[in-house]
Amino acid sequence: MWLPFMGLVIGIILGLLTEIRIPEEYSNYLSIAVLAAFDTLFGGIRAYLQNIYDEKVFVSGFFFNIVLAASLAFLGVHLGVDLYLAAVFAFGVRLFQNIAVIRRILLTKWSTNKEKLEKS
Amino acid sequence: MDKQKLNISFTLVAAVVGFMIAIQFQTVKKPEERDTRDIWQLREALLQEKELQSNLLTEIRSNEEKLSAYESKRKQSKEQALRDTLEELKIEAGLTEVTGPGITLEIEPAIEDTQLGDPVTRVVSPELLKRLLNELNMYEAKYVSIDGQRIINTTVIRDINKETKIDGHSIKSLPIEVKVAVADSTTAEKLYNRMKVSKARDEFFTEGLRLNVSAPIPNIKVPAYDNPIRIRFLEPIKEGVGT
Repeated sequence: MWLPFMGLVIGIILGLLTEIRIPEEYSNYLSIAVLAAFDTLFGGIRAYLQNIYDEKVFVSGFFFNIVLAASLAFLGVHLGVDLYLAAVFAFGVRLFQNIAVIRRILLTKWSTNKEKLEKS
Repeated sequence: MDKQKLNISFTLVAAVVGFMIAIQFQTVKKPEERDTRDIWQLREALLQEKELQSNLLTEIRSNEEKLSAYESKRKQSKEQALRDTLEELKIEAGLTEVTGPGITLEIEPAIEDTQLGDPVTRVVSPELLKRLLNELNMYEAKYVSIDGQRIINTTVIRDINKETKIDGHSIKSLPIEVKVAVADSTTAEKLYNRMKVSKARDEFFTEGLRLNVSAPIPNIKVPAYDNPIRIRFLEPIKEGVGT
């Protein structure tokens, strides 16, 4: 259970240590890619808690979402429409939904655990 | 086992996400400290920078001046002048190879003049060559070589044991080539026209030789004089002694 957190921390440390900086004009793409990655991550956690987790879906969704979001932003820049806002909106909404579902599941788990404890 | 696999993929994805977040964070927070200077402080800073710039400019200018001073000094120095003079004198004396506009003359035996049974002429008499040289010099020839031997001021052309020798170089067989270079192409043209109608052709023909004159060539190469020049009776004037 702690391994994903370790991975997250390791990734952050690596990123801070390498001191890579992306040019200003590309930071849009990266931010939207981060958003997509977050969405997929929470989606994966939710699916795991709901016991409908599929590894292929998770991994492919992760990369596909990142690429799709970045290309959408790219297209938006070239069309002169802020298309990346659409991606931000979609991912944001899904992020909130996922987190809400996770919260409910955890709450029910917690309350059932409590009931069990009280019963016993 | 399934759980482990899940954990690994989660971990990898989390690591990638963390990496991306870190990079994004670094990119966004680039200006680490905010510039809180007001307009007067900014002006002061600008002034300082401008002073620095003007200092640098003066430095550059002084360095360039020094450079040009050294350059002109070097050019005007005695050593350089001596070198230039030496080079000029060498060219003048014929110690360097010269390329320039000019013509070539070919001296070959005149077959049609030779009687049956007579030997074909093999030698050019020194008198003929001298006359030819005089004529060429008259027509402003500057650099001349005969059979690859450069003609300079002290060159002697003479007959030694029935062999025509130019400064020790003997002319053994015909045809030979005379290369003549002049100052510019108009002079070359003039020289060519004069040589075409000169008497030298007739003089050569009476000795069983033919003189062919080539059209002017823009780049003719006259070789350098390759023996040391011996000066026996020439001495520099001693300064202050002369009357």
